[in-house]
Amino acid sequence: MSGPLRAAWHIQRPLYRELAYETIYGVPLGNLLPNVPPEELGRRGVRRVAQSKLLVAGLIAFLSAGTALLLTPTVRRLLVPSLPAPLFETTVVGALLALELTLIWWTALQLVPTFLTSPIFPNLELLPIPEKVRTRAALLLFLRLFDVQVLAALLFTPLCVGAALASPLAGLALLPGLVAVAILAMALSLATGRFFVRHVRGSPGGGRRTLVRWTYLLLWAIPAFALYGFISFGPRLVFALSVLVGHGPSVGIDALFAVFPLPLSAAPALAANGGSLDLGPGPLPFLFVGLGALAYGLLTVAAASWLWSGPRALATAQSGGAPAETPAAIPFVRRSPARSVLTKDLRVASRIPGYAFLILLPLLDAVALGLFTVVSAPGPAATYRIALAAVATSGLVATFFGPAFFATELVGYAYTRVLPLTDRSLVLGKLYLVVGLYLTAGATVLAITLVRLFEPLPFAAFVLSELPAVAAAALLELGVLTWVARRRGLPIANLYSGSFTVVAVALPGLFASGAPLLYFLVAGGSDPLLAAGRMALLALAELGAAATFCYLAARPGSR
Amino acid sequence: MGGAPSAPFPLEVQGLTVHYGGRIGVERLSFRVAPGEIYGLLGSNGAGKSTTMKSIVGLLSPDAGTVRVFGLDPRVDGVEAKRRTGYVPETPLLFDALTPWEFLEFVSGVREIEPEAAARRVERYTEALQLTAELHQPIAVLSAGAKQKLLLVAALLHRPPLLVLDEPFHSLDPRSVRIGRELLRQHATEGRGAVLLSTHTMEVAERLCDRVAILDRGRLVGEGTVAALREANSGSLEQAFLRLTREEEGVRAAVRSLGSE
Repeated sequence: MSGPLRAAWHIQRPLYRELAYETIYGVPLGNLLPNVPPEELGRRGVRRVAQSKLLVAGLIAFLSAGTALLLTPTVRRLLVPSLPAPLFETTVVGALLALELTLIWWTALQLVPTFLTSPIFPNLELLPIPEKVRTRAALLLFLRLFDVQVLAALLFTPLCVGAALASPLAGLALLPGLVAVAILAMALSLATGRFFVRHVRGSPGGGRRTLVRWTYLLLWAIPAFALYGFISFGPRLVFALSVLVGHGPSVGIDALFAVFPLPLSAAPALAANGGSLDLGPGPLPFLFVGLGALAYGLLTVAAASWLWSGPRALATAQSGGAPAETPAAIPFVRRSPARSVLTKDLRVASRIPGYAFLILLPLLDAVALGLFTVVSAPGPAATYRIALAAVATSGLVATFFGPAFFATELVGYAYTRVLPLTDRSLVLGKLYLVVGLYLTAGATVLAITLVRLFEPLPFAAFVLSELPAVAAAALLELGVLTWVARRRGLPIANLYSGSFTVVAVALPGLFASGAPLLYFLVAGGSDPLLAAGRMALLALAELGAAATFCYLAARPGSR
Repeated sequence: MGGAPSAPFPLEVQGLTVHYGGRIGVERLSFRVAPGEIYGLLGSNGAGKSTTMKSIVGLLSPDAGTVRVFGLDPRVDGVEAKRRTGYVPETPLLFDALTPWEFLEFVSGVREIEPEAAARRVERYTEALQLTAELHQPIAVLSAGAKQKLLLVAALLHRPPLLVLDEPFHSLDPRSVRIGRELLRQHATEGRGAVLLSTHTMEVAERLCDRVAILDRGRLVGEGTVAALREANSGSLEQAFLRLTREEEGVRAAVRSLGSE
């Protein structure tokens, strides 16, 4: 290790601990620190970051193993017997590389904003440390955000691919592609993290800016959708390819090899199949693979060169947000405390991806369901089946995300605690959000499927029948949280950190939102309309019980 | 100073004891603040000023003693007590993800203030404190002074009969300190609001406070009007402070050691 690199390594070690601490505890957001010795806080921060990285690394290993299973000749012959093996292998490994890129990029994006806005680097600039050492220290610190995930990808993926294709050379041939993917993912994290800090978290108010924020957040949520997309779209993609190949050789298929990341994933297939892509005699496929590999190679070199000094340059710039527009005299809007909580949550979510994700995921899911329905073109008889799928998805919103909206209270929590906000107003504010999301998701599916679906009224009626159950699930979960908080003598905003609480509140919510759907599944075969009516009655009864429980749990005068 | 005998005091603290992190934060502290009175808490770092204020607004639970805000126990009638209180915390921990305008709209909604009145007050206070240009910037990018001004505006927004201000001027420029003092003075004299403020700055205490309490290591060591404290300790308020906190000799020794190198 050279002198500057050794010095940088020593410097980054305590800085990493500080960064982990800042990321985990979010003190500037108003979170309260647990009552443990200061040195334990640092250790705990490092441990939590390591856990999060290990989780992603585990997921990468799992996906690699899954891909290996897909790559076996038996599975290929079972799935798409007509697709040539090299094309199938290139596509499957390519999908894995794309997934790994999004996973590494997306999970690091949780840490990069803290990296870019931490006072660590501006303070480091004030110390008498050579510029070269500071640049290296920033680079090393930045690389440490990715270490476990990237190592997992570099280790497990070639191993699994090599084993599945029965060719160690195939595994080794994947390494350059994996390195490129890792570098590109890091560069994407830094670039999008920078954009996030400037134009999302640092975005001034105003309509146009709000649109930019939500657009970014929508794009941000899509990689998180990657696994879901991989499972949903992956088989369709392979089948589509199979159909295309069935039509005979074409430039279109050959050109596919230039699409990212196929030039990077073609190497194992070439290594395992004696240098053949099995797509006819012409050189075009190789030309596209070669040109693509060259282009992505150059892009990777550019990204690596930018990463060499980029982390320090961006972390010391600390420019905060984009300049504000001329302040407009916007009138205050009259809102109840509960609606004020709802508006505040939406505004907070529009600048914090983690919360925006909770809101966008069900809507993206609704769009996906709508599009699938349009593509598969079911007849009018499928109305209830589609509606059932739509409300089941939205039911999950209530079950899993309702209490998670409490977590937004952690933002600015130190201040909210001194406001006269009652438990009931808080619970009602979160309920509005859950119900609003459910209805928006239902309306989205309905709007998209109107093209193919000829019975919008039964569909809407079905969605509305489940609405009381969704509200009941949310009330039940929020009520349980309030009740537990009171028993423990905690402010309710401080509760959601416990994983036990998450599970404990999710189960009754799952039951409440699922019971009417289950009833419909069992009894809806002969007369769906009657079953939907009974389902609505059951949902209403649940709402009555949950509202009573929540009313008692969230008393008006206390918080 | 005294309020009407039958009406509860805006703030009454009796025998307040708070242990924090195994240390004494405040011990057997008692004082009260009358309507229209500006009461200052003076003390060195760690004297217990912020602990006292946090207990008053319900952020900390006392180990012993009582706090009453207009006769209400903040632990029992928290929401009602909070309705009557405006608070500026020592550290500007806010919603970094909101703009000041969005934050103030949220505060006015939760406090159920008429939108027109809230907007009028925001305009008045932000213009006076020169905060208008930052109203639509995210709080995350504001300077410490701008955040401090924002907290002051948020605390004043509902014209609370009790203001609890923890070092409200510590990041402000001299102009804003002057305006801030005037706002508090008006709040106390015209609105008959009670103000409890903590400060390190003797000048602020001398110019603004009707009475001050001096805290030392969590205990009350002196209380009275500024004039009375000066007179009793034959000197300036700073001298009175150093004498009552037994820091006089320590300061002299530190000054001597600084000159000896």
